[in-house]
Amino acid sequence: MQSSKPKRPSLAFVLGKSGAYAVLIVGLIGTLLPFFYIIVSSLKTPAELRQTPPDFFSKTPSLDNYTTILKDKDIPIAQNLFNSIFVSISRVVITLFTSSYAGYIFAKYHFKGKNLAFGIILIQIMIPFQVVMIPNYLLVVKLGLIDSLWALIIPAFIDAYGIFMMKQFIEAMPAELMDAARIDGASEFGIYSRIVLPQMGPPLASLGIFTFMATWNDYLWPLIVLTSPEKRTIPLLVVWFQTAHVSNQGLVLAASILTLLPIFIVYIFLQRWIVDQATQSAFK
Amino acid sequence: MAFNTLFKKDIVVDSGKLTAKQRRFAYTSLTPILLYMGVFTLFPIVWAVVMSFFSYSPIREGSGFLGLGGANPFIKIDNYIELFTGTSKPAEVFRLALKNTFMFTALVLPLNLLITLPLAVILESIGERFKTLFRAIYFLPTISSSVALVIIWSYMYAPGWGLLSIMFKAVGLVPPKSWLQDPSLVYFGVPLAMICVVIAHVWQDFGYNLVIFVAALQSIPKTLREAARVDGANAWQEFWLVVVPLLRRTVLLTSVLTVISSLQVFVIFQLLTRGGPKNQTQTLLLSIYENAFKFANNLGLSAAMSMILFIIILILTVIQFRILRTEWEY
Repeated sequence: MQSSKPKRPSLAFVLGKSGAYAVLIVGLIGTLLPFFYIIVSSLKTPAELRQTPPDFFSKTPSLDNYTTILKDKDIPIAQNLFNSIFVSISRVVITLFTSSYAGYIFAKYHFKGKNLAFGIILIQIMIPFQVVMIPNYLLVVKLGLIDSLWALIIPAFIDAYGIFMMKQFIEAMPAELMDAARIDGASEFGIYSRIVLPQMGPPLASLGIFTFMATWNDYLWPLIVLTSPEKRTIPLLVVWFQTAHVSNQGLVLAASILTLLPIFIVYIFLQRWIVDQATQSAFK
Repeated sequence: MAFNTLFKKDIVVDSGKLTAKQRRFAYTSLTPILLYMGVFTLFPIVWAVVMSFFSYSPIREGSGFLGLGGANPFIKIDNYIELFTGTSKPAEVFRLALKNTFMFTALVLPLNLLITLPLAVILESIGERFKTLFRAIYFLPTISSSVALVIIWSYMYAPGWGLLSIMFKAVGLVPPKSWLQDPSLVYFGVPLAMICVVIAHVWQDFGYNLVIFVAALQSIPKTLREAARVDGANAWQEFWLVVVPLLRRTVLLTSVLTVISSLQVFVIFQLLTRGGPKNQTQTLLLSIYENAFKFANNLGLSAAMSMILFIIILILTVIQFRILRTEWEY
């Protein structure tokens, strides 16, 4: 209901509003300060980093720590970056394919044993990783995949959560389109690849982004199956740095920021969407 | 319309043949997927369960299938008995880890809700543009690499020159000599190192619950709140009598999810405190990992530990599905 004369905001209202913003800004500082502190610290010289009490800002900020870790021949950082990118992209591509393909079958086909098959897939969601961690490690040893990047990719072909998500999306697609294609002589796989897949941009993009972030940040499983320095992914490199370069913490900081960077760049462009997707997925 | 019915008729005529073809397609496509699931999900689960009843070490050449048997004997429920009553080092550490894991969860959940619920209510009340901005920034730690976040917090908690020590000194307080390594610093029965880990974890994780609560608040129909206003409720009453009851299911569900994820926190314990000082931050998952991959003496015992964690999580998951299944309408 609109009031006829413009109402001046009451004092309580103004106080309430500014109080609200004050709380939000305190929260904001609390969230960003730790990030900000290591970013400015990564620009310090080794001497400045050792100084007690330290200055918040470096007097001679430089990118030396970054150039050092990128140039040092003893640190296979290019290789480690490649490993992380290779594993992340492989897993995204494979997950998108298996999830949409299986999701399509579960959504649009009716056959005996469908519920049982879907139940088997859902078991994966119910089982926490640490339960299968030990047998999966022994399995990877038996398959001869220890210390190979394939150990990060092969056991992750199927993502039950992805199948579940895609199935829900495809169920909402009208069957008429698929039937029409069938009459035009399209094969069942052709219906998937030419009718279903082109309509799946948004859910595939969100599954892809979440798979990428999860793989990029993954630590425990790579820690278990990878051993040699040139096989490490970026998080393992950072941890190794932390123990190997106690004397030069600037390198550790620079490496951590390089780990965060790709995800942050993606996030800057897609933040609204990522947050919305994360909110929705919590209730499925 | 006519066009449509024409198609429908065609399908009915051909239906038998089509479904046979479709069924064949469905079976041939799903077979490899299910076989794969069998190898990489079902088989490992069964393996883990079976292994937990054996004294198994991969170094010993066993006699039976998967090396279970012979030098790796079947010992019935001895692993479980050992974990709960035994006096060996792993068993004692396990019981401590169980206690610590529960303590960690019991601290994380209320702290998380205490921050996220009021923050969500405030965030929901402000303008759309700022809301999106704040939400995006609060969410930032949840998408960041845990390893990098641990490095960040090791800088916050660094003794003497860490940011927290500096801030303590700035306001005239005396910071502890060591935030993470002094086992004698215990407040209300909670070791300081544990408090530090809880804070770092909640900082990393609160964005999730926050955005969920904001979304839940937004989904409450405006008409309900307006109706309360019309009936003479003030803002406080409107919040407690309208908003809170409608949020109940969301808060319950989010709490269960928070508990499940808190039980499985690993990186921060392994890297920030390494379970120390004196096992004060030793947790279940860290024990499983260390027993299996660092000491590697009895994987059967580690498997038994993972089964215990699994049973706890399973119970919580059942509760979660129960809440999800309850019908809810405004």
